[in-house]
Amino acid sequence: MHPRAGAPLSRRRFLALSATGAATGVAALGGCALQVSTGVSGAGETITVMAKADDLGPDLVKQAQKDTGIVIKRVDYDITKLIAMLTSGNPPDLVRGVGAVDAAFYAARDVMQELDSYFATSSVLRPDDLDPVNDLWRYDGKVQGKGPRYGMAKDFSQDSMYWYNTAAFDKKGVAYPSETEPITFEEWLDRAQHLVQRSKGQTTVFGGSYNGLVKLTLMATMTASAGGSLFAGDFSKVDFTTPEARKALAWYLDYCRLKVGPSAVLPDPNGWDGPTYQAGRMAMSNNGYWMGGMIGTDKKLAQVSRLAPAPVFAGGPRISACQGGTGMWMPRKSKNKDAAWRIFEWFFGEAPAKARASSGWGIPTLKSLRPLMPHQEDFQKRTLSAQQNELKHFSVVAVSPYISGDAFESLFNQVATPAMKGEMSVDRLAGRLNSVINEQIKRGKEQVG
Amino acid sequence: MTVDQASSPAVGRPHPTAKAGRPRSAATRTGPSMTTRKHRAFYMFASPWIIGFSLLTIAPMAYALWLSFTTYDGISPHWHYVGLGNYRELMGDSVTWDALGRAGLFALLSVPLSIIAGLALAVLVNRPMKGRGLFRTLLYLPAVVPPVGAGIAFKNLFDQNSGAANGVLTFFGFDAIGWLADPYARYVLVMTVLWAAGNIMIISLAGLQDVPRELHEAARIDGASAWRTFRSITVPLLSPVLLFQTVTGVIASVQTIMPMLLAPMAGTGGLTTIPQSNYTYMIHVFSEYFALGRYGYASALLWVLFVLILIATGLIFRFTSGVVFYNVGPEAQK
Repeated sequence: MHPRAGAPLSRRRFLALSATGAATGVAALGGCALQVSTGVSGAGETITVMAKADDLGPDLVKQAQKDTGIVIKRVDYDITKLIAMLTSGNPPDLVRGVGAVDAAFYAARDVMQELDSYFATSSVLRPDDLDPVNDLWRYDGKVQGKGPRYGMAKDFSQDSMYWYNTAAFDKKGVAYPSETEPITFEEWLDRAQHLVQRSKGQTTVFGGSYNGLVKLTLMATMTASAGGSLFAGDFSKVDFTTPEARKALAWYLDYCRLKVGPSAVLPDPNGWDGPTYQAGRMAMSNNGYWMGGMIGTDKKLAQVSRLAPAPVFAGGPRISACQGGTGMWMPRKSKNKDAAWRIFEWFFGEAPAKARASSGWGIPTLKSLRPLMPHQEDFQKRTLSAQQNELKHFSVVAVSPYISGDAFESLFNQVATPAMKGEMSVDRLAGRLNSVINEQIKRGKEQVG
Repeated sequence: MTVDQASSPAVGRPHPTAKAGRPRSAATRTGPSMTTRKHRAFYMFASPWIIGFSLLTIAPMAYALWLSFTTYDGISPHWHYVGLGNYRELMGDSVTWDALGRAGLFALLSVPLSIIAGLALAVLVNRPMKGRGLFRTLLYLPAVVPPVGAGIAFKNLFDQNSGAANGVLTFFGFDAIGWLADPYARYVLVMTVLWAAGNIMIISLAGLQDVPRELHEAARIDGASAWRTFRSITVPLLSPVLLFQTVTGVIASVQTIMPMLLAPMAGTGGLTTIPQSNYTYMIHVFSEYFALGRYGYASALLWVLFVLILIATGLIFRFTSGVVFYNVGPEAQK
């Protein structure tokens, strides 16, 4: 018999036993966490998809099971949860992502599965049928837009375009922008100033919003529109002091300072333009074709809404990039890659893709689905025509793999807010941005190795 | 000797009244003693909490401490150990200290105001009046509204262009104010805390009901005014409750993430729309973790905050030791 048998449990001994119990518990919890996907391919399997309910609602989950025999367990998209799942070695099998900012970032960190071999053998997602926007999901180890494919966009828009409300223009007697030829950024801002309506310190109608999808892609595409590049050739630095980047930065600061539209210094509580534009409280809204899905459901709004080409800088090239390309990617450590790919094919090339294409909420990412884009009603014809014209100017603007969209946005707003209020000069801000953003890029480069 | 042993001197020894015909020899005493059983019962009841505390508090804190010595970003393979590098960087990071200063200012504004408001409400609903129960319920209700809901309500209420607050101002001919932008955003943040002062009210009310009525009656007979009675009898007897509220209030206010909920956008995107006056310490921590992906540095920030809260709590106890009145019997004070 143990000499301590029957003796009272001392506190020290109890704590030691508790610690052992806790350690065992942690190990047990870790073991449980590894049992999400079955690792067996074929019908009847379950895969975990991290997506928003808007992307993959309960009806689609049911339809997936009916069409493929695969059960989808959807978890809400949440970056903190994603990192926790990746860290624990228990990633989802498919993850929602924004191609323009996520693809290079995650691919460089080696957490994404290359999908070229899957594409090569797929009869649904044939490489020759893929729209060039899907190049946002390519990364060759140095540059976005080239090399292996790591994901695919579900639909897309050219996010530098903008919608305008003709009623707001009529009310102020401002000339409509052309639906085929771009106006300059300066002309856009001038119109916004004429269109904005204020009363007793309140902005009753915004002249126009122009915030891009995220600041990283906004600044990169605007600098490209000015004829330059925000990043150095190897993407290891930004330079806001080049004439082109400075021009883009100065324009955006003017936009904020003049308070013609929502910004960090004039927040819109709706969080995005849709409800504000629909309420007739925004004359111009920097959103691409996809917002037509919302506008088209409101007959009155559709009658007065026009889609216009992306503005240009005087003397600069005509560029109309996609700043998003939201879609999905497969983590390298997915436990059920074949089943995940089957759902990938289904989601991007079968019934859900066709439904999206015909809804007007974005341009399909397979060329073969283009004929499904809505074109029956006047609004749809007009919008489609403007969009098709703009597609000729599509290009991929690559961003650095060493900084995330969130990091750029956070640092940009943190440093630029005083300049948005007119309390800091453009040149001083450009220097500060170079300093803080390059520091973050340097850290990212060290992490990538 | 434990309290149990002191109160049960016979435990472990033959009881003097035990029957002589049934000696408790070692051979027949096979089960554990009463003391052992009591110890086991105590630890059995305490163990769920201790295991939970170990798994959910000690382990994450230890993990965060380890992270704070690294450059880990959550996903990249090439992180490395930097020793105290993150702590050294933190010392020279003006953004961190500014954020801490704002959190401190927020605590200085919100804690006294919410305690005063909660106490005033408690005094009010402690008086005999019609519909007292209803008033208590109504005043407590905001405290049970989830913070996310409160954030949405306040965001809409104080929106510059469509909020009710500016609706009132413009109705009376004043210009609208950008409540959710600098410099007013800080005051809206304080208002969200004051709005939920029902929590403090309910604790103060419990304290008020513990104040012996005869003391108030004696004071009234002696001719003391209501204010004097409140100041000299009620407040001293409530001082332990007020100290508790101060300590928990300071901890909660320094750790608040309410600015995030007042931001126009949700999630990490919302970080970018938080006005500078509301960019407090925890927002900075969140930003470093999830926007910049600096898990190591953010963990160091959290550990520094933990130590600072310990120091602040210690200082509060030290500086209030002479003014807090514990209403306990002389035996318990020994």
